Amino acid sequence: MSELKKSLKEAVKRLAYNTSVDHLKKKGVKRVNVLGLDRIVSLIEEAVHRSLRHKLVTSEREEIVDATKEEFLKLLKSNEELKARHEAAEEESNNLRIQLDRLQEELTERLNEAEFQRQEDYEGEDEEIARRVAELFERQSADLPEEMRGQVYELIQGVVGEQRREALEAREAARDREVDNLQRRIKKLSASLEATESRLSEVASMKDVETGVASIYREVQGLQGSGKEAERKKELMADIFAANLKLQSKG
Amino acid sequence: MSDETQNPDGAEDGAEKNHGVLYIGMDLGTSRTSVSASNGVRETVYSIVGYPKDVVSKKLLKKDVLFGKEALEKRLSLKMFKPLEKGVLKYSDGDDSERQAVENAAKDLIREAIRIAKPRTDELVYAVIGAPAQASINNKDAIIDAARATVDSVMLCSEPFAVAYGLDMLEDALVVDIGAGTTDLCRMHGTMPDESDQITIAIAGDSVDQKLAELLERDCPGAQYTIQMVKDLKERWAYVGEPAERIMVTLPVDGKPTEFDITAQVKEACMVLVDPIVDAIRRLIGSFDPEFQHKLRNRVLLAGGGSMVRGLDSAIEAAMERDLGGGKVIRCEEPIYGGANGALKIAHDMPEEYWEQLK
Repeated sequence: MSELKKSLKEAVKRLAYNTSVDHLKKKGVKRVNVLGLDRIVSLIEEAVHRSLRHKLVTSEREEIVDATKEEFLKLLKSNEELKARHEAAEEESNNLRIQLDRLQEELTERLNEAEFQRQEDYEGEDEEIARRVAELFERQSADLPEEMRGQVYELIQGVVGEQRREALEAREAARDREVDNLQRRIKKLSASLEATESRLSEVASMKDVETGVASIYREVQGLQGSGKEAERKKELMADIFAANLKLQSKG
Repeated sequence: MSDETQNPDGAEDGAEKNHGVLYIGMDLGTSRTSVSASNGVRETVYSIVGYPKDVVSKKLLKKDVLFGKEALEKRLSLKMFKPLEKGVLKYSDGDDSERQAVENAAKDLIREAIRIAKPRTDELVYAVIGAPAQASINNKDAIIDAARATVDSVMLCSEPFAVAYGLDMLEDALVVDIGAGTTDLCRMHGTMPDESDQITIAIAGDSVDQKLAELLERDCPGAQYTIQMVKDLKERWAYVGEPAERIMVTLPVDGKPTEFDITAQVKEACMVLVDPIVDAIRRLIGSFDPEFQHKLRNRVLLAGGGSMVRGLDSAIEAAMERDLGGGKVIRCEEPIYGGANGALKIAHDMPEEYWEQLK
């Protein structure tokens, strides 16, 4: 009983929220009614007692009160478990979303970087080739007509361009493998996120699942006492049973 | 309940409670079905079952079967069944398909009544169902078959007896259980009442509805209403004796809401209960041991939904004074759950070996 009172107190504490006097003042509250924990616990007991007072004898009332309290605590516990599972699933879902976003950002960044690097590299190379070809013409054949020089330069650019295309294709193939890997990871993360979200909605819907209300009895009861009244009731039970046995054995 | 109970858990302190025994007391009535259970649940549902008329309505309603008020609200899309009439399963003899349909509806109703008692799936469910004293063997079989599908063991008992047992009025008492279809009277004299101790009359709540509808037809020209509207009016205003206030109701006349004063009509309709009940009381008292007749006369217990008619106890006392030279009438504190509470108490007090044999 005292254990239950303690648990009830803890439960009420958990359900309560903290506030400050200043906060209440800001909300325009000047006076508050204070209800102690002991009073709340005794009110719960009193409510159960009152509702049952006219229906049951004292010993059974106590039993029902205890059973009700136990059920209340069980419900509270299961509610907390449900809440914890919900929070864990939400956290997992958030983590997956963060990972997914990070991977997608990484992918875009790498693609942009690669493109930028390529452009920079090509511009530098082109300048270097033009400079070296000009030097060669100056050293070997300074009297070569300008038109011829242009044709030679175009020829070199064509060969270099072809080399570049091949190199680019090789690089792209390597990058595609990388991108493909990243995309597969993203796909897996998306599937995992979907599953987590589905679990989340399952957990949310579990609030509506009817699990039933436990009986206060664990075993079959039956009349136990003695005395005239009990004997009479036993006879009545035997009569009801006999009539039902007759009825049900016909079927 | 009894004070001779065991430890409710029946287990040592600290043991994990993983299964148990749930007792259910059920009052299977024409109008309402009420359940009281040993998990503290008490519920009542109108004894109305509705099945979707076609595939379209089934898709719309998203249910295979509807009960009570929900069925009434959606009745245009449903094939409706009120499986009990005058306290027993209602079907015409010889029509097998109708009989099957009514029995199925009764089964579904009992299943629903057990469902609303919120049994845990891991618990044994033992039920006692209050049935009309004069229900036929076939009817009782059908009720047992229906219940067996959802409970571990089931017993029937007479409805008025269950009311008396619930209130510990096992001796020198006369129970008048006014339902919708029938009024069951049972005299209690310390032993199991037999057929001669019980009378069932067909004057009950539905008779009041019928009479009120006739009076509205006569005195409220043009008023449009259904029998369900009449029932609602009765449940709200029913009285005999002096009215507490004028009963002003609004009923449509050619689509226009029109106010009517039905104070006198409600009283006249409710008065149909008094004389037949007093006549049945007289028969049961008159055929009882003359030495104990005065005890019965002074302990008449009104139960059932019909006993909620305001002033009915006084009106019956006055009629008993006139016809029987006096008497004392008391009301059951909880008319709707009197039968179910009594059946629950019987379930609780029934020894284990009896339940086992009927499994």
